[in-house]
Amino acid sequence: MKVNQFAKAGLLTVAVVVTFIFCWETYWRTKGFVATFNDDKVLWANARKAVYQPIDKATVFIGSSRIKFDLDIAEWEKLTGEKAVQLALVGTSPRQLLQDLANDEKFKGKLVVDVTEPLFFSQIPVFHKSANEAVDFYKKQTPSEKFSSSINFALESRFVFLEEGRFSLNTLLNDLEVPSRPGVFVVPPFPKGFEWTKFNRQTFMSAGFLADTQLINRQTNIWKKLIMGNPAPPVSGKPLQAILDEVAAAVKKIQSRGGKVIFVRTPSSGPMAEGEQKTFPRAKYWDALLAASNARGIHYADNEKTASFICPEWSHLSPNDAILYTQYLIEEMRQLGWFS
Amino acid sequence: MLFNSYSFIIFFIIMLVMHNLPFSWKVKKIHLLIASYIFYAAWNPPFILLLWLSTVVDFFVGKALYHEENKSKRKLLLVVSLIGNLGMLCFFKYGSFLLENFVALVNTFGIDYHPAKPNIILPAGISFYTFTTLCYTIDMYKRESKPVKTLLDFSLFVTFFPHLVAGPIVRPGQLVPQFETPRTATRNQLVQGLFLLSLGLFMKVVVADTLLAGTSDSVFNFPNALAALDAWAGVLAFSGQIFFDFAGYSTCAIGIAMCLGFSLPENFRFPYAAIGFSDFWRRWHITLSTWLRDYLYIPLGGNRGSKARVYMNLMITMLLGGLWHGASWTFVIWGGLHGLYLCVEKWIVGMRKPALKIVELQPAIETPEKETVTASASFAPTFLKSRQVRLFMAALLTFFLVNITWVFFRCPDFDSAWRMLASMFGFEKNGAPLLATIDIIKVLVVTVLLLATHWFMRNTSVLAVAQKTKWWLVGIIWSSMLILLVLSQKSSDSFIYFQF
Repeated sequence: MKVNQFAKAGLLTVAVVVTFIFCWETYWRTKGFVATFNDDKVLWANARKAVYQPIDKATVFIGSSRIKFDLDIAEWEKLTGEKAVQLALVGTSPRQLLQDLANDEKFKGKLVVDVTEPLFFSQIPVFHKSANEAVDFYKKQTPSEKFSSSINFALESRFVFLEEGRFSLNTLLNDLEVPSRPGVFVVPPFPKGFEWTKFNRQTFMSAGFLADTQLINRQTNIWKKLIMGNPAPPVSGKPLQAILDEVAAAVKKIQSRGGKVIFVRTPSSGPMAEGEQKTFPRAKYWDALLAASNARGIHYADNEKTASFICPEWSHLSPNDAILYTQYLIEEMRQLGWFS
Repeated sequence: MLFNSYSFIIFFIIMLVMHNLPFSWKVKKIHLLIASYIFYAAWNPPFILLLWLSTVVDFFVGKALYHEENKSKRKLLLVVSLIGNLGMLCFFKYGSFLLENFVALVNTFGIDYHPAKPNIILPAGISFYTFTTLCYTIDMYKRESKPVKTLLDFSLFVTFFPHLVAGPIVRPGQLVPQFETPRTATRNQLVQGLFLLSLGLFMKVVVADTLLAGTSDSVFNFPNALAALDAWAGVLAFSGQIFFDFAGYSTCAIGIAMCLGFSLPENFRFPYAAIGFSDFWRRWHITLSTWLRDYLYIPLGGNRGSKARVYMNLMITMLLGGLWHGASWTFVIWGGLHGLYLCVEKWIVGMRKPALKIVELQPAIETPEKETVTASASFAPTFLKSRQVRLFMAALLTFFLVNITWVFFRCPDFDSAWRMLASMFGFEKNGAPLLATIDIIKVLVVTVLLLATHWFMRNTSVLAVAQKTKWWLVGIIWSSMLILLVLSQKSSDSFIYFQF
């Protein structure tokens, strides 16, 4: 190749790459996908900055995926006039997040802790990994990473294909679902329309997903395998007491600084709810948690309006029901004096 | 600032524009220096003070060393520089390690001493820039080159952002003369530099982080014994990951420098095609191995003296080389294994040289400049007739032995390392299957392609091959790399060698 032909190769490269990006983006848009955000530690760290607002200006939410789907942030902010800071992490116990806020002397605000028992009381490291990584990233984020994340957010808000959980190389390879050897546990790929995230970390199911029974069945089968298929017995005895003590101490720390903490049990339904009630009986876990921490709690089953919600895939509310649930939750919280 | 970040893309575009504006050469150098400090400060701004300290001390000490005639004063100045540089490195990198070992030692003597664990943060790239400044003062002591004329040029030599954080480790003679005359890239250099930058990012983001890191992490973080297939897949994944990660960084660095009109030394030359370990160290982290040769192995005596002495020199060099990579005994064992391999190889060559007509098999730390193709017939089984096949088998044996060393490099402690080795060689009867089939396929495909590429390109370079290839084919390969880079997007993380 002659010297000036390297430039020709460069021009061809630019043309091919630009064409590919245009076609790739257009293809996914025609399939009904819209630009959403990667629900990762970078987005979490961005939200984490907002916890220091005055107590009458914001409520911080931690938990697992349910509160991310079930709390409609726009509705919350419209009805309360306060900001909702969403710090829950999918597939993760919020206990590390609670510790992080409890140990942060500057945090003196209101905190809602969402409880999904199989995750909240889990001692399996993988259910704490994302929380540890997110907190660690937030604390060690470099100036360069902060600048990069602002560019990244701007790009993610415009391009569909930048959603890593759906369109990255590894996700596309995993979508091939090559059968694995017996004894190997592989997390099955979630349907692409199941979990979409906005910049404020509001997560929701797409209309396409909700309209497709096959996709919903696929998701319930994943829950069967992932959560309901877990053969490990739930934590009890001394380890459970240790968890309750640790949570109680964290709650006390926040309350001692003038902060408020409330526990929330968001809805589940169908076989998922039955399995949770059987494995994590309310008296032994939820009631014990409230008693140990001396904090208030709102359980969806205690309110006939929220008890009747049906989760399409047994575990999370649809966007429309999330609006209603948020209204009922605010109502109950007002009665408990949360906003006063 | 990471090369694989949006902030670097913006930074680099600004740098390219500034460097091509009609400013004087001195102003352009000041731009480069300020940019290099911004590049470094983007990690942890306070650590820039260390960089300044190291730069200023070594500039003035170097000058004094060159001009001073009094031998005692010269030695004193050298000691000042060594203590300054190595002291800083020891404190930040080895402080906790030294304290841990001291505590373990005194505890064995029954002294109950348990100090609080120090919380020392390792400044990015300290191992690299310490070696860069150290070689300057040693050269000044030996009067092997003239002192750098201005503090600006010396600061730029130490701080030039493409090599600052993870090499290549540059010598004054390689970079300082380039600052003396105005430089901007020609159009061809610019495009070739961008090609190398794309290749480096592809190696890092697509291959190391996206295709291999997950498998490697799963295997090495698994707390129990593994099935042999999984253990090998994990080790091969790490073997590929560390190459693509570090060689990717070096390729980016060389490409970025080229876009600005500068030339940095080659750091990797298809190392997994190495035939024997002296050949391996001529191909892997070349700037470190030559540094160790010139500033450690040769001063220790090198090849001079008895055989036992030469072997000892080799072992000391490689053990310290291992320790340079990290403050842990597992790194020392990694270096020790490489030292042992080099000694055994040297012994075999010494024993069989007359009969086998071995072309050349001297350790890299003795004769790295030689471009001779090495051959190690001593490794080849006799039933293989073809010379190429024999050489390839020898390369595979070298690769196999290198993989054993990576176990110690990657494992956090010896228990994990022994467990991994036992899993790899089938000594663990109840090893668990861990990896998904797709992950094993990824590792095998990458490993086969990696070995094939290294073998077929072992005597050439990427740019030389690209020059001989049709422009449209280069364009297709280049665009494929960028498309995969776009698809991999955020799977990327920091470079492994930053921690060293």
